[in-house]
Amino acid sequence: MFMKNNKNEKAIIKNSVKAVFLLVLACVTIIIGIGIGSVFISPMNIIQILKSFLFSTKLPEGIDHIYYGVVTGIRLPRVLMAFLTGAALSVSGTVMQSVLKNPLASSYGLGVSSGAGLGATIVMITGITSSWFGALFLPVVGTVFGLGAVMIAVGFAARMDRLQSNNTIILSGMVISLFLNAIMNMLATAYSEYTNKILLWQLGTFSGKEWNSIGILAVVTVICLVIFQKHSKELDIMTFGEEQALIMGVDLKKEKNLLILITSFLTGTAVSFVGIIGFVDLIAPHVVRRFFGSSHKWVLPMSALFGGAFMVVCDLAGRTIASPSEIPVGSITALLGTPFFLYIYFLSRRKG
Amino acid sequence: MIERNPILSVKGISCGYRNTEILHGISFEVFPNEKLCILGPNGCGKTTLLRAIANMIPFTGEVIACDFSVQKAQRIKVAKTISLMSQMNSLYFPYSVYETVMMGRYAYQKGIFGTKNAEDKKIVEESLRQTKAWELKDRLITELSGGQLQRVMLARVFAQSPNIILLDEPTNHLDLKYQIELMEYLNEWVKKGQRCVVSVLHDINLALNFSDKILLIEDGKSVMNTSVKEFSLSILNEVYEMDIGNYMKTSLKKWNVLEKNGAIR
Repeated sequence: MFMKNNKNEKAIIKNSVKAVFLLVLACVTIIIGIGIGSVFISPMNIIQILKSFLFSTKLPEGIDHIYYGVVTGIRLPRVLMAFLTGAALSVSGTVMQSVLKNPLASSYGLGVSSGAGLGATIVMITGITSSWFGALFLPVVGTVFGLGAVMIAVGFAARMDRLQSNNTIILSGMVISLFLNAIMNMLATAYSEYTNKILLWQLGTFSGKEWNSIGILAVVTVICLVIFQKHSKELDIMTFGEEQALIMGVDLKKEKNLLILITSFLTGTAVSFVGIIGFVDLIAPHVVRRFFGSSHKWVLPMSALFGGAFMVVCDLAGRTIASPSEIPVGSITALLGTPFFLYIYFLSRRKG
Repeated sequence: MIERNPILSVKGISCGYRNTEILHGISFEVFPNEKLCILGPNGCGKTTLLRAIANMIPFTGEVIACDFSVQKAQRIKVAKTISLMSQMNSLYFPYSVYETVMMGRYAYQKGIFGTKNAEDKKIVEESLRQTKAWELKDRLITELSGGQLQRVMLARVFAQSPNIILLDEPTNHLDLKYQIELMEYLNEWVKKGQRCVVSVLHDINLALNFSDKILLIEDGKSVMNTSVKEFSLSILNEVYEMDIGNYMKTSLKKWNVLEKNGAIR
């Protein structure tokens, strides 16, 4: 009997090898992301600087102290923020696709990102702060608005089409996203002193992020990923539809509510710090499934790695292609993401 | 004669969606090794009845599966007793056949990190072999043909180790060959132990061939509940608003003519 399951175990080993490869790739991307910019810093120097930064050791001879400042003060926080955002959005996209049993779903496409964005815009304009939530205030507002948006989108889809087919949910999410974006644009025009900030932020940026935000996003991402990982079996089963999930013993209502709530929290947190960035949450799970299969046990962590690395590359492209001016990272992801979306859409249509 | 206890007893089920009641107090019993088929015209509430039995929708009345009331039981407990096979319409996520069938063991893999233990593996293999799908185990479900997919989904139902299998027109879009194939697998399955099958089939011919008992529903009410040998054609005709017997006879006559002319050898 064990002989027959050999192939199964082989697949696990194969996936592990691929996972290590992806991990190395992600690290390399981070180092390159730190190295390239207005001044080039060699990978060896970066590693030395990071070592002295992490363990507060003395910087070895021959490394400029300005480099130390550039790496630890500007590029490292930026690259880390990009990586974490990519990871957070990709993981939340993976979960959305399973919960809505729709490979075209994503937090961005369903309006979670726009909702969270609107929430953060309102906070920005009104200048409201809350001592109660402290540093978590913005993420909480983002979550509440993001959750509201996805609930409206899914609710509309349910009213339009009792079967809630894939196309209806996509359509309804787009409509809600556009509507919320329109409100954001109106606010941007009405409050002219914030116009630039809001418009730039609508396309996402990783520049000038504080360690504080990076810390919060890192903790939130890791916690959410662990929770999702614990629910990976349910996520697998839910892709087969509600009827199948119920009959196999999944407590569907509870699972669905919990998963949508946590996904919204994860997206809301990321968006409230960096702005609205789309498509990575759609692309990452698809690419990962192609290499690792569909099991969420693999897809979740690998989407985080891939999405993070992908976002670092997009940010790098954004700030180097038209240097010294910067292309918003949201434009880069959309530029790459739109053709990809169309490819997937028409591929699945031809099949179905 | 030894008295047998029913595996499934449905006692006065009423339920509906929103404000319209679809089922009005339906009762019936299914005994071990029996196959009951629910017949009735479109929209009479057949699918709703199956969904109520599996406790997927709220209802009044009671469903006793084996020895417990379905309404009061936890989902996991119901899943260990009742499984359902329906039409698989859309599969977008490329899971392997083995992974798909292993999901049937969900209710048994207690604990959040419950690993696939040897027993789960054994049952999954048995289920796949029972439906002759073992050689497909490393294929992706999105790449299977309709007939292959049906065998895989049936293996998943078997892997759930249920006592009661519900069928909701699973064969509707498949060739006759696959419809009969499915019925043969289920015929084998139902013979052993405390098992029964409750099916909703569209094809009356297939239903009469495959089942021991017929439950006929009209407008959410049970109008006939009898064994296949004793059922009344006139009630069936009335419910379906056509002369079904005549239709079958005409088909048979045509068949005989074809045979006489040598078209069928």
